Amino acid sequence: MVELPEKKVGIIACSGEELPEGTAARLAALKVLEQLRPANTVTICLPLFLAGGEGDRAFARYYPTIAVDGCNRRCAARGTEMYSNRPAAGLVVGQLVLEHGLGPLEGRRQLNPAGRQAVDLAADRLAGLVDEIMGQSWNRRSGVYSVPESRQGLPEKATTAEIPQGDISPCACGSGIPVQKVMIAGRPVDLVALPLIFEQFFTQGKLPAPGTDHALLEIVKIYNPVPVGAEDSYAEALRRAYQVFCAQKQNAQPGLLNASKE
Amino acid sequence: MTESPSKVVIVPCSGIGKSYGSVSREAAYEVVEDLRPERTQLAALALLVMGDEASQALVRENPVIAIDGCKLACAAKMVQESGGQIAREFAVLEVYRRYRQFKPQGITELNQGGRLLAHALAEEIAAQVDQMGGSRG
Repeated sequence: MVELPEKKVGIIACSGEELPEGTAARLAALKVLEQLRPANTVTICLPLFLAGGEGDRAFARYYPTIAVDGCNRRCAARGTEMYSNRPAAGLVVGQLVLEHGLGPLEGRRQLNPAGRQAVDLAADRLAGLVDEIMGQSWNRRSGVYSVPESRQGLPEKATTAEIPQGDISPCACGSGIPVQKVMIAGRPVDLVALPLIFEQFFTQGKLPAPGTDHALLEIVKIYNPVPVGAEDSYAEALRRAYQVFCAQKQNAQPGLLNASKE
Repeated sequence: MTESPSKVVIVPCSGIGKSYGSVSREAAYEVVEDLRPERTQLAALALLVMGDEASQALVRENPVIAIDGCKLACAAKMVQESGGQIAREFAVLEVYRRYRQFKPQGITELNQGGRLLAHALAEEIAAQVDQMGGSRG
C-alpha cells in the first residue's frame, strides 16, 4: 500500500473551561505538543469538528488520536469518535488524580500544586502513549493498530517527514488537512487528503492511466466514504482531476515528471 | 440600570494551538472571576459540542457573550447551533487591532502583551455586561 507522508499522533484535549481538570487536560496536551513530543504530535480543538470543514472532521481518520479529558463525561473522546473517528487511546485527568491520590484540583485559571502535578503526570502518560502509537502500524481505514511481522521484536523508527501545508486555512488550533473539491457525476464532492495523494503519486512518477485510477481510488477510499456503486464515477473523476494536477505541475516546472520517475 | 435575574453566559474559544485562544480564555476567566463574578457565568464549549442538555439550556435561557480566537468562530457557531442567542460576539483578532501595543505570544503561558490584551478584552466584555442590565459584581 502506498504510504502517505508521515505518521503523527493527534492529541485532542477537552479543554473544559469550567473545571480545573479541564485546564490540566489542556496544559498536559500542550506540554506534550510543545516540549515532550513536538516532532510527533499535532492537535485540533474539539469544536472544530462541528465548526470547521471536512478536513477538520477527517482529523482522526488521518491521524491516530489520543483524547485527553478532564472528567468522566469524556467530551474529547466521545466527540472525536462521534464526529471523526475512534481515538486510539485516551486518558481522563480526574481518574489519574484519584489513582495517584493527588488531592483536589483547584484553580481553573491558575492550578494549585496538585493541579500542576496532575499536568506533569498526564503529560508523561500521554508521551508514553504517543511512543506506543508511533511504534505501531496504524490502519486508517479500520482504526486499529498492528505491528507488522517484519517489525515484531525490532526497534521502531519514527518517521520525520513533514506533512505539507494544504489549502485549508488554519484555525487557532492549526489542523488543516488539505481537501480538494472534485466534480463527481455532476456534483461537487470534498475529498480529504487528495492534494497529498496526488503529490505523492506525481513524485513517484505515476502517470494518469487506468492502473493509476484504481490505485488512486483505493487510497482515496481510506480517507473518504465512497458510496457503493459509485466507484466508477469516482475513478473517472479522480483521473480527470489528476490529469489537471499533473498538467499544472508540468507547466510550472517542465520536465518534472520525467525527472521524478528517474 | 435595572438588575437582571439572569446571568450573562460567557463562552470562550477552546483553541489550544495559538495565543489568541489563550487570550480569549484568560479574558473570560477575568470577567467571571474578577470583574463581574455576580453577573456572569462560564460555559464550556466542549459540553456544547457534545450536546450537553444543561449547557444548551444555559445558553438558550440566558444572554450569551461569545469570545472567538479565530475567524472560524467556533464559540459563536456552537452557541447558535445550541439554540442560544448571542448578545455580543468578541473576536480577539479585532480587539488586537485596537490594542496593537499588546502583542500576544505564548500559549501555555501568555506573555505580558497577551495578558494586557486579555485584560483590555475583559474590560470591554465587562462594560458590555453592564450595558446588558447587570450590576457590578
